[in-house]
Amino acid sequence: MRLQLTFASVLLTIGWTLGAPDGVDLAKPEDRTDHWSFKPLAQFKADQNIDAFIEKKLIDNGLTMSPAADRLTWIRRVYFDLIGLPPSPEQVTAFLTDTDSGGHERVVNQLLASPRYGERWAQHWLDVVRYADTHGFEVNTPRPNAWPYRDYVIAAFNNDTPFDQFIREQLAGDQFRKDAGTGFLVTAARLLPGQIGKDAASMRLARQDELGEIVINTSEAFLGLSVGCARCHNHKFDAISAKDYYSMQAFFAGVSYGDRPIQSPESEALNKQKEELKSRVREIDRAVAGLVPLARSGVERPPVNALLNVERFAPVKARKVRFTIQKTNLYEPCIDELEVFDSQGNNIALASLDVARSASGSKVEANRHQLEFINDGKFGNTHSWMCSEKTGWVILEFPTEHTIDRIAWARDRDGKYTDRLALEYVIEVTDDSENWQVVADSTDRRSVINIVNGIVDPGPGRTGNNVFENAFDGDIGTMTFTTNSGSESAPQRSLLALEEGAVHNLSRIRINDIAGNDNNGRMKQITVRVTTDPDADLTARTYSDVTHLSVKMFSGDADPLPNIVITSNTIEHLDTTHDGFYSIVFDPVPGATGIELEWVNEGKFKHWALREIEACSSSPEEPINQTGITTLDSEQQAKSKSLLQEKKNIESRLKEFSKSRTVFGGIFGKPDPVHILNRGDAEQPKEEVAPTVLSALGNLSLSKDAPEAKRRLALANWIANPKNPLTARVAVNRIWQGHFGIGIVETANDFGRIGADPSHPELLDWLATEFIHSGWSVKYLHRLIVLSDTYRQSEQIVAHANDKDTEVRLLWRFPTRRLEAEGIRDAMLAVSGRLNLKTGGPGFNLFSSRGGLSGFPPISKFKGDGLRRMIYAHKIRMEPDSVFGAFDCPDAGQSVSRRRQSTTPIQALNLFNSEFTIDESKALAKRIREDSGEKVPAQVARAYWLAYGRDPQPDELADAESVVRQHGLITLCRAIFNSNEFLFIP
Amino acid sequence: MKHDAEHLSPSGQQLLNRGAFLSNSATALSSIALTSLLGREGLLAGRRPVIDPSQPYAARAPHFAPKAKNVLVIFCPGAVSQLETWDYKPELIKQDGKPLAGGPAVTFQGPSGNLAKPQYEFRPRGQTGKMVSEMIPHLAELTDDIAFIHSLTSKSNTHGPAENFLSTGFVQDGFPSMGGWVSYALGSENQNLPAFVSIPDPRGIPQASVNNWGPGFLPAEFQGTPFSASKPVRHLTPPAGITTDQNQAARSLLQQMNVRHLEKHPGDGKLAARIASYELAARMQLSVPQIGDLSSEPAHVLKSYGADNASNPIKAGFAKNCILARRLIESGVRFVQLFNGAYASGGQLNWDGHKDLKKQYDVHAEILDQPAAALIKDLRDRGLLEETLVVWCTEFGRMPMFQKGAKGRDHNPDGFTCWMTGAGVKPGVSHGLTDELGREAIHDVHPLYDFNATILHLLGLDHEQLTFYHNGIERRLTNVEGNVISEVIG
Repeated sequence: MRLQLTFASVLLTIGWTLGAPDGVDLAKPEDRTDHWSFKPLAQFKADQNIDAFIEKKLIDNGLTMSPAADRLTWIRRVYFDLIGLPPSPEQVTAFLTDTDSGGHERVVNQLLASPRYGERWAQHWLDVVRYADTHGFEVNTPRPNAWPYRDYVIAAFNNDTPFDQFIREQLAGDQFRKDAGTGFLVTAARLLPGQIGKDAASMRLARQDELGEIVINTSEAFLGLSVGCARCHNHKFDAISAKDYYSMQAFFAGVSYGDRPIQSPESEALNKQKEELKSRVREIDRAVAGLVPLARSGVERPPVNALLNVERFAPVKARKVRFTIQKTNLYEPCIDELEVFDSQGNNIALASLDVARSASGSKVEANRHQLEFINDGKFGNTHSWMCSEKTGWVILEFPTEHTIDRIAWARDRDGKYTDRLALEYVIEVTDDSENWQVVADSTDRRSVINIVNGIVDPGPGRTGNNVFENAFDGDIGTMTFTTNSGSESAPQRSLLALEEGAVHNLSRIRINDIAGNDNNGRMKQITVRVTTDPDADLTARTYSDVTHLSVKMFSGDADPLPNIVITSNTIEHLDTTHDGFYSIVFDPVPGATGIELEWVNEGKFKHWALREIEACSSSPEEPINQTGITTLDSEQQAKSKSLLQEKKNIESRLKEFSKSRTVFGGIFGKPDPVHILNRGDAEQPKEEVAPTVLSALGNLSLSKDAPEAKRRLALANWIANPKNPLTARVAVNRIWQGHFGIGIVETANDFGRIGADPSHPELLDWLATEFIHSGWSVKYLHRLIVLSDTYRQSEQIVAHANDKDTEVRLLWRFPTRRLEAEGIRDAMLAVSGRLNLKTGGPGFNLFSSRGGLSGFPPISKFKGDGLRRMIYAHKIRMEPDSVFGAFDCPDAGQSVSRRRQSTTPIQALNLFNSEFTIDESKALAKRIREDSGEKVPAQVARAYWLAYGRDPQPDELADAESVVRQHGLITLCRAIFNSNEFLFIP
Repeated sequence: MKHDAEHLSPSGQQLLNRGAFLSNSATALSSIALTSLLGREGLLAGRRPVIDPSQPYAARAPHFAPKAKNVLVIFCPGAVSQLETWDYKPELIKQDGKPLAGGPAVTFQGPSGNLAKPQYEFRPRGQTGKMVSEMIPHLAELTDDIAFIHSLTSKSNTHGPAENFLSTGFVQDGFPSMGGWVSYALGSENQNLPAFVSIPDPRGIPQASVNNWGPGFLPAEFQGTPFSASKPVRHLTPPAGITTDQNQAARSLLQQMNVRHLEKHPGDGKLAARIASYELAARMQLSVPQIGDLSSEPAHVLKSYGADNASNPIKAGFAKNCILARRLIESGVRFVQLFNGAYASGGQLNWDGHKDLKKQYDVHAEILDQPAAALIKDLRDRGLLEETLVVWCTEFGRMPMFQKGAKGRDHNPDGFTCWMTGAGVKPGVSHGLTDELGREAIHDVHPLYDFNATILHLLGLDHEQLTFYHNGIERRLTNVEGNVISEVIG
């Protein structure tokens, strides 16, 4: 199956000089495919085993295996190794007393059956594929649907999915109803469209980068080959040409980065449930709408909304309803459905009830905008009526007269469109007499001025992060102020720009829902200024104070109402203990172009959020009083509140559904033609290539027009093939490395010629053969390895062996190693008793905000979901966790085939001084006291058992006892969490 | 613990197996035993530093006699316009308001507008008479001491990837930063401080954030430790509520426990290294607050840097960071990275002047100019420039046109200016040329690889020899590129 090198590539070989290993004679043509890992697996006689291979090599080198480790060492080793957590004192005791034969097997079987196993071993794989929950690069925004892939990997390990199938599902899971598997394809960092230049060359380059990452991931993870460098030039050492690179890229030419729905029977059921919930939300909207203020009653009504508007009025006899649009926010008006309700709450406007319709004119787009859609009972833009002019009317005529009291209409009840919305309108009805009367119009609706931009200007001496997003866009958003330092009460300014070009008669600002944070102080004072300066730069405008400022609060929560004091343009004693709604009213400012709000917080102000802010134009004096905006009685209020609560609950469930139903697993479209690019330059395309596997390894080639899915599937089947000499070797080497900290081939991502040779080539081949025969069972391999004598050896250093083989590559002892970042955090939580074993789903936060301009301020206090295993953290690319990141935690920038074992003073500072350590020390101290009471020796013994699975020695007890007596149990716990015995896999 | 596996180059092993002096049956073990020998002979692919895990910051020898011992990098994120600073273009003044014939219709952010003259006056400076902008009067005074490179190019026109490229030699995330490479190669002269300190701007972190000081795949010891005059090193002290006595007791108990554990595992270097790391951490707990405490700085020093400027707290904050940078260099920290500017924000918080460049640069230049110039002068006056290389850099330049409908310039990776001064640098040099409008480099064109190769060279490091094996490739700061710019070397 291997091909000879072509003459051309031999010639190229001669040209390679830069960076070649010294001493390699480059002038001499050589067969680069003549490399051990490219050759078929060796054949073996029956009844071989790991220990025989290891022993033989030891004997050849004048070494011997170490005696077996004691049982405590072994059980701690195998727990950390297989599930990443320490055994509990009970588990240790049970094993130490279970001296019947088969005790080791029983422990291993238990561990491999535990869901904790997948959580541990998935991490090894996620390191290789550089998994993260953010997009990386400069804005590093969340990739909210990445986690189904993480959960897929955990489940694949727990289910012992055959490794060949694991490969297929990651390349072509859509073909196996394992959509989440293809998250593998798109794990890399990527530029989002806004970060890519608007010029065509920048876009082509970005596309090449995206495809390049897929090729790199596939070749490194499965084949242990660095194909990526052949993007610009033929590989310097391996038999991989630029043509190979682009031919491999062609398998992925139809893959783009993005979310894709997960198809499964479960997801279809969920989908149905989701539709039901959506329809319930509509019912609630309608029910709540019945409680809105009456039109034309002198009470101000909410602004027009694209999603739904309800007009309520006193019952009136109607034969016809006329809806006249006088002004829209943009273009010709569009209404998705006009509903008219009788006093029993039935929609009597449906076409199915023989209701006729007419209009001033209609803009028709088949199956999207048609007059018939105004009352077809279907919502959304694709079932809507669009007027032919910017103003116009539509009339519904009922077969008979009805008594009606409510009309509902919307631009798009699906919430996708907000343009073409009627801002000014009038609704009239007539009975049989043809005497039209107005029942509702837009004059008593609050008119909102668009706020198009906003920034926060931190106060003097303040540095820190401010998020100012979506708080002014008409939807519920958040404006969060987070300030990391600064003097206690330095004010901050927020500057809001009104939409350009419009003539504004700004007279009010409404602030809805201020959510303070109890720990960090609340907002206590607002100063309001308005500008008419049209300068493009918000910060450069001059602002003047407003006159006749007053404030009205209408919130159900505030009781008693805050005792606000207004001095000139400043509102003082603003008590936001009750999250509330404020309307700030002042004399109209004609030509206003921007607003400045200066905020002052009480105490050491750090963090609070605004959900929504509105700017309103002047309107007649409103009869709003301080106790409430509506005229609802208490019963209605209660009903409204409970309905809205139900809606909120449903919406949060819907949000969960939508999260779990899609995966960032790539979008599959028609493949683009793939060309070899001269020196990797997207502007220099050369010959077109077909999807073809690496020429040194095979000759599978598809046609240039092969369908997309077929390409990935063909590649997957070629890789996941027992005859592929690399696949099984690379896989078993990774598993071996997981157990011993270093693989038989040290360079787990590189089985090429510059990579390391195997320390035990026969063992590697034998394991690969066993692996394939077992049906590619990873758990089978685990059993083989952890139950071997090699694995059971003592960890003690033997001087003469150490002199010969410091790195323990020949395994004359068990090579101990420090726990990884996740292992340390998880073990601390397990020992403190606070570990939350919730599995799956969206990750918990290690940072208090998720990027954008606010950066990543770390969380230091964790509770609830924050105490889950670290694999369930929302993994921020490139941003290390503030405590554990320093322990060589991969940053998900580049693939990490093996974690380093650095030892740094920053690690020591983090583990010794972080709030996390102190909190877990406190929790452990509490647990110890609960378990063993107030007697210090018993406390010390319990601490040792929980952390190390053993009794303290007399001198250890004496030292610890004196520390506990003088400095408290927490001090002992803190030392334990930092101790080598705790941090090392023995 | 003489030889960690990290030091064994797989290609070196390969070589061992191929070498004439080893038979085909050579075992991995015998190759390991020979590695040290070969390492001394310089036969491994890269001349990797050998790291003692218990003393990761121990000073290590460079490849050849260095001209500079340490580095201060002043990094201005957001892309400082070459046309408003050091690349004087009289022709651009003449063509102000005219379209650029044959120029790009669309640049990074969108449609191009007309050519726009430099937004500041230029004046001849010093003995060289080089024209430098009035935007930076203090830095302009240093013109005679500086070697300018006017013809640099970047591989990306997007801030994040371009910052990656400048700091790591790759546009992708996840490669080691230059400071990481340097501290990996050379260690540090001070064992009580990190070898590599990164000082963020008072306004916030730069666009590519930790990529600029991260370790990538180098061992974690070699990442930059971020702190500034106003933001201390994280976890330097325990949280409130832990007393000094408790702290001391925990430390002593930990030491006892670890020593006892080591006694039961004699000869285990990893365990010993961890013990040593706690000792180094304890020393850092003392030395870092000392270095960051500017209270001993006399008033005239604060004044010369602008650190006493109460009316401009950001400037004062940056000035304090400049003083901190000097103190770190003074203490023998190998690599100090000082940021002026934060993330892109429509040009509000860094040098990304898209909309109204003059107005925004007035603000930013005020913050940069006096403190940075004072820092360099202070280093000079204290004799520290004899052994310190000072680098001023930005990720790319800006277009000679304004953007359509705006008074700012779009991204331009095709020709921009960075400079060096201090140890090993030839003073008063202007190397490389952009065209008469400053659109792109046309003479002595240098991709940033060359700039980085030159910095390593001045430190006595051959950029082709300073390698680290990762995923099948001997990685370098300069990928497979890079030529030292000898014209700027003194």
